[in-house]
Amino acid sequence: MSWLPKWFEWRKDELDEEIRAHIAMDIANRMDRGETQDQAEAEARREFGNVALVRDVTEGVWRWRRLERFTAHVRYALRVLRRSPGFSITVIATLAVGVGAACAMFTVVDRVLLRPAPFADASRLVEIGESPKGGAAFHESPFLDIQQWQQRSRILEEVAFFRSNSSKVWFLGGNDDAMHVSSASVSANLFPMLGVHPALGRGFAAGDSGGPVAPGDAHTILLSDAAWRTQYGTDAAIVGKTVELNGERDTVIGVMPVGFTFPYEGMNATGLPVVWRPIVLTPADALRGHHQAPTYQCLARLRADATLASAMAQMNTIQPSVTATYTEIQDRENAASVNLRRYTDAPVKGNLRMTLVALLAASGLLWLIACLNVTSLMLARATARQREIAVRGALGASRWEIAEQLLMEGLLLSSCASVGAMGLVAGVLKIFQHSLTTQFHLHESLTPNLAMMGVLLLLTVVGTLLTSAWPALGAARASIEPALRQGAPQQGTGRAQRRARSALVVSQIALSLTLLVGCGLLLRTIYALRHVALGFRTEHILVANMTIPSYRYAGSDMTTALYQPLVDRVKRLPGVESATLLTEVPLGKTFQMIFTFDAQGNSASAIRRRALEAQFRAVGPEMQKVFGFQMLRGRFFTPEDTATSQPAIVVNRAFVRAYYGDDGDPGKIIGQSLFGYGKGWPAVVVGVLADERQVNVADPSQPEIEVCLPQITPTSMFYNAAEGRAMDVAVRTDRTPASMIPELRDILRATSPDLASSTFSTMDRIVEDSFGSQNLAAALLEIFGGSALLLCLTGIYGLLAYLVAQRRREMGLRIALGAQQWNVMSLVLAQAAWMLIAGLGAGLAIAWLATAALRPLLYGVKTNDPWSMSAAALVMFLGGLVAALAPARRAARVDPIEALRAE
Amino acid sequence: MTKPPGYRNRIELLQGTLDMLILQTLKRGPAHGYGIVQALRARSGDVLQVETGSLYPALHRLERRGWVSSEWKQSESNQRARYYRITAAGKKQLVADVSRWEQMIEVMGDILNAADGGAA
Repeated sequence: MSWLPKWFEWRKDELDEEIRAHIAMDIANRMDRGETQDQAEAEARREFGNVALVRDVTEGVWRWRRLERFTAHVRYALRVLRRSPGFSITVIATLAVGVGAACAMFTVVDRVLLRPAPFADASRLVEIGESPKGGAAFHESPFLDIQQWQQRSRILEEVAFFRSNSSKVWFLGGNDDAMHVSSASVSANLFPMLGVHPALGRGFAAGDSGGPVAPGDAHTILLSDAAWRTQYGTDAAIVGKTVELNGERDTVIGVMPVGFTFPYEGMNATGLPVVWRPIVLTPADALRGHHQAPTYQCLARLRADATLASAMAQMNTIQPSVTATYTEIQDRENAASVNLRRYTDAPVKGNLRMTLVALLAASGLLWLIACLNVTSLMLARATARQREIAVRGALGASRWEIAEQLLMEGLLLSSCASVGAMGLVAGVLKIFQHSLTTQFHLHESLTPNLAMMGVLLLLTVVGTLLTSAWPALGAARASIEPALRQGAPQQGTGRAQRRARSALVVSQIALSLTLLVGCGLLLRTIYALRHVALGFRTEHILVANMTIPSYRYAGSDMTTALYQPLVDRVKRLPGVESATLLTEVPLGKTFQMIFTFDAQGNSASAIRRRALEAQFRAVGPEMQKVFGFQMLRGRFFTPEDTATSQPAIVVNRAFVRAYYGDDGDPGKIIGQSLFGYGKGWPAVVVGVLADERQVNVADPSQPEIEVCLPQITPTSMFYNAAEGRAMDVAVRTDRTPASMIPELRDILRATSPDLASSTFSTMDRIVEDSFGSQNLAAALLEIFGGSALLLCLTGIYGLLAYLVAQRRREMGLRIALGAQQWNVMSLVLAQAAWMLIAGLGAGLAIAWLATAALRPLLYGVKTNDPWSMSAAALVMFLGGLVAALAPARRAARVDPIEALRAE
Repeated sequence: MTKPPGYRNRIELLQGTLDMLILQTLKRGPAHGYGIVQALRARSGDVLQVETGSLYPALHRLERRGWVSSEWKQSESNQRARYYRITAAGKKQLVADVSRWEQMIEVMGDILNAADGGAA
């Protein structure tokens, strides 16, 4: 930009010369007419008028003049800010904290809540599930039902279906370099319905009957961009080649576009790249008998003019005729009504949504507090600069120019703060990466994007206006003369400003208290959650969530071929007390099986049992030793429960209560057969477990059924559902659980190379993660509340220090007239106490209302918990008094002689 | 604000007419700022006094719009001065300005005459 000033200088010189020439010619002309030189010069200058004014107005016409003024303002602002680095750094740091917090929260909210699903018209995509009459269940549907919906519903534009298998790990590629992927089976019309087409190759071809894939494409797969990139290095020739997926040979027919994933990202718990397989109908799909046809998840697109409610009403009118072809009455009853929900609503549950909104609001509060703090600083500074500004005014700066100058300084400070805030955003997001992954299934790291930059810009501009507009307008309005004459800050504006700054500090106290109360409530929640009696032990337990290469064990019993030898080896490790297999540890979030009953008839107990949804786990006999569950009645599984003995099942107290609908003796269920493993192969309840918190720490015990893993053989009906999909190893050790990970991993790798990438965790960690949204909220509120407290205290300190400096003379006079040190100190402390009491009063009122937003997160504590409120108020009050102490002591130490002489 | 003596005898220029007068003056040949002032004063019989505070901003504005161009030259009295010259675009603009001005006069005349008639 160095050429710009030079160019200006040159043009100004030229204009000067032009004006000089004008006057010179006039003089020459007048002298020709006979005037004397002196007379001519005087007349010529008089007639030309104000040279400076003409020059100024002419320069105003130049195009670059505005830019020049702008750069001059920036240069001057930079000089001013450099001259008082302490002030500048304080302001920049304060604003950076506020803007950083708000932007970090916005980035998360934007990613999780605001970004639309990457499907065309995602709001018209609905999931369809069947349930017993009027129920809220969401059962999968057989193809024949889906086909009838497609043909008969006028309100659905297209009906597609899929099977997600999301918790299972698949192996793509050769033997040892196999890549772990997740896989979903999809109907041919699914991707076209989503409005997504392969970036390379083609999609699955539709069969004769519309939705399902043509039999010709049975052994084909579609790759996601991530899988293609990682495993095949973006080799375009992969289309048409045959690759191995879980040991089967399939032809790659296409690659989907970058960023496309299905099922919708929030549901992909593993975060692995996806590979899609076709759904080709089998003869079983045409059967209407009990549990004979495979079932699918159904996804449909509503017509543009349809609403969710109207679609649901219409679907339910045709449903009776859809189910009429079922051969069994109980199947008909189980699918009696249809439920619809928006597909993209599902991943973020209401609870998390509330958490995010509450946290975004909290970060907004912190930003506001930072702005108030800076406004107060700016006001103080404007007073200190009164004389300088008056001089500028006297030299001809217009009011607008003065205001413009001060705004420019504010903008410069804001911009520096925003640059700093970018760093803070990256830092905050990094710290919370783990929570973001477990809570929102966000597997990529969040980076600042365009939307976030927009918010940053907005906060910068609004922040500038908030913090600088008031001081700038005040300075521009102030009259020049008294400021110049007196030299010292005026008493009149001083008082008004003192009041304004007190009000600012009071609002800061109120807002900070709100954050502190929220923080206190969550800390109490976390404390309560950590002290819930879970019903099992969590310490010293290491958990391996295995990636099971089930395809390698097709045709053999995985329990005897893989799992049992593995556990036996683990048990021999030094320091292992016991080890067990189980499909999913309590509170685990990677796999869930729900068991439902087909109770016949319309008796009260049949209706109750149809509504019963039990957690289903296949576990090893050592499970009780590892977790220390308590038995209420009967026995747990023992090593004598083998594939050849009577199948045994264990239920929990909650199950008995739900099954019988009363709170009687839990022992009455022992000996009952709830279901069979096959025809003439009944399983009998042998024991009842005490209640445990196995789904959520905050939720009471859910009904649960446990079956014995060694008894689940390939011929029993649960084998396919349970064994090949998910299996955890839980190890109880007297060592630090984490120190065992390498040895455990070695054993897994030795057993099968595919198991080496299993994930490890400790039971303590799993419990902590299970209340991750509270943990995340508590951690963020600690940061926000702590920052707010700190800002607030510096605000109190700053204002009092300023007041003491201003009232030095008065203090000196008081001391000279015999006031004791304590009298003077109490004067300052009383001022602080007054502000604190006003702020705390307002803050408690705001907190009373605002913390209602936290209700869904709280556990074991009410939103208006008096303990949290009084603790937060006490912290704030004591902190405020401590901040006031230093200015108070300075006031008490004023030397009366010096203070009085100084004036 | 007290007006300087003699000011009352001069006519204040209507908004926008200065540009037209400058262009009209320059149509007779290139001139410097002082020359334009003199020419306008002479041709109006000393009635029009163009303020330098309006003239120079106007000249620079016309140059920015591309209606005049300028160059430094020696004057006949051997004084280095900046001469302004009307451009083709300037001539076109002048034609438009003049026709608008004439239209204006006509309309104004009609209105004033009509008002007279009504009073009579």
